[in-house]
Amino acid sequence: MNAPLFQAKDYKSELKPIWCPGCGDFGVLQGLYRALSAIGRPPHEVAFISGIGCSSRIPGYTTAYGFNTVHGRSLPIAQGVKLANPELLVVIAGGDGDGFSIGGGHVAHAVRRNIDLTYLVMDNQVYGLTKGQLSPTSPKGLETVTSPLGSLEDPINPLLYMLAYGAGFVAQATPADMPGMSALIEEAIRYPGFSFVNIQSPCVTFGEDEQQLKAHKGKMKTLASLGHDSTNQLAAMDLARAYGKELYTGVFYKNPNPPPTYESLVKLRQAEQSKKARARHQILEAYLQK
Amino acid sequence: MTRQQQTPSIDFTILTLKDALDLAVLIEEEARDRYEELSAQLVLHRTPGAAAFFAKMVRIEELHRKQLIEQRHKAFGDAPVGVRREMIFDVEAPGYDEVRMNMTTRQALETALKSEEKAHAFFVSVLHNVQNPEVRKLFEELRDEEVEHQELVKAELAKLPPGDPLERFDVGDGPAPQ
Repeated sequence: MNAPLFQAKDYKSELKPIWCPGCGDFGVLQGLYRALSAIGRPPHEVAFISGIGCSSRIPGYTTAYGFNTVHGRSLPIAQGVKLANPELLVVIAGGDGDGFSIGGGHVAHAVRRNIDLTYLVMDNQVYGLTKGQLSPTSPKGLETVTSPLGSLEDPINPLLYMLAYGAGFVAQATPADMPGMSALIEEAIRYPGFSFVNIQSPCVTFGEDEQQLKAHKGKMKTLASLGHDSTNQLAAMDLARAYGKELYTGVFYKNPNPPPTYESLVKLRQAEQSKKARARHQILEAYLQK
Repeated sequence: MTRQQQTPSIDFTILTLKDALDLAVLIEEEARDRYEELSAQLVLHRTPGAAAFFAKMVRIEELHRKQLIEQRHKAFGDAPVGVRREMIFDVEAPGYDEVRMNMTTRQALETALKSEEKAHAFFVSVLHNVQNPEVRKLFEELRDEEVEHQELVKAELAKLPPGDPLERFDVGDGPAPQ
């Protein structure tokens, strides 16, 4: 076997995570290190962009470039980073509140532009960092400090949300299955276009018992075991409707014919336009003639 | 763009003794690193008893690792390592979800016991596929050692007063500065 270019530990920074002991995000971080090691890009060719929240601390825990931005704005900033330097591997990390509440309006545009980004949402169904308020994916009826009598709202379905906007790669994982989750993160990063992984990463402090990893181990079902064809977008949407009731893991949808990415179209446009570009002296002459 | 092949999984039917020894070293290393992480988490979240026990486990796993490295060097010198840490997942390392702030020393010991049982189950399971007699002998030894470790943890557990663990919300956790 060839010696690996990079090991998982090469992506781990000196900073120690301050998440609550037992938090699902510890597993996600490990899975991420492993996925990056398998991809083999050096840390200086990777950038992590995040918003605000527990999971948004991830950039600090890696040796890659990182930008812990403002609440809900990780997607537009990540798009800017990728367009400024298309050679960078850009991964976005955030929570369900950051992604689907304050940042929800950015999702549609990130998806429709199809910039080669990987968006990892650590979906814990609660605002954990701010001590347990209702989040956009909290189940109906959940009692929190902001819904003491139980939530009256239906949760957002992140999987359907992404599929409906036309994302080319949509998957779901849980740190209860570390090898599966690492492989999914790797597959998402390798997908040439916008990719999304909804990671059910429980909040150990404010989450419900049935949302914890021990419960995940009992109820998760791989999509492969259901015989799901991940190239079938409609079947993916049908299965995604079970979000909140069933815990399906794996790839819901992967476009078998990925369309060109935005950055590749920009490159083409630049090449076309540069043929028509006038030399400096021609521009000067045209100006002087006026 | 640099791209590696996906991390290959381990084929135990053709595993050599050198790779088996290196794998055993990596298993101990993974456990050592995990206990170190968990201990640090619990120090940060003011759970000193369990943190101290996990720090002790760090020293134990490191000792085992060094013993295996010695065995490996005696047999194979500096021959290149053919297996990677990425090929294994939590063989002897406790899962991240096994710990809680304010967990008691008893709960920490129970976590370690569960991990030793997990490691034992791993060796029992892979032994079904191992064909190389030398690898089989090594894995049988390691499997039996896991039983000895379980007994050691059980003996430590017996020394503790009966448990009355705090419920997870009994003590609030303040924000941790960074």
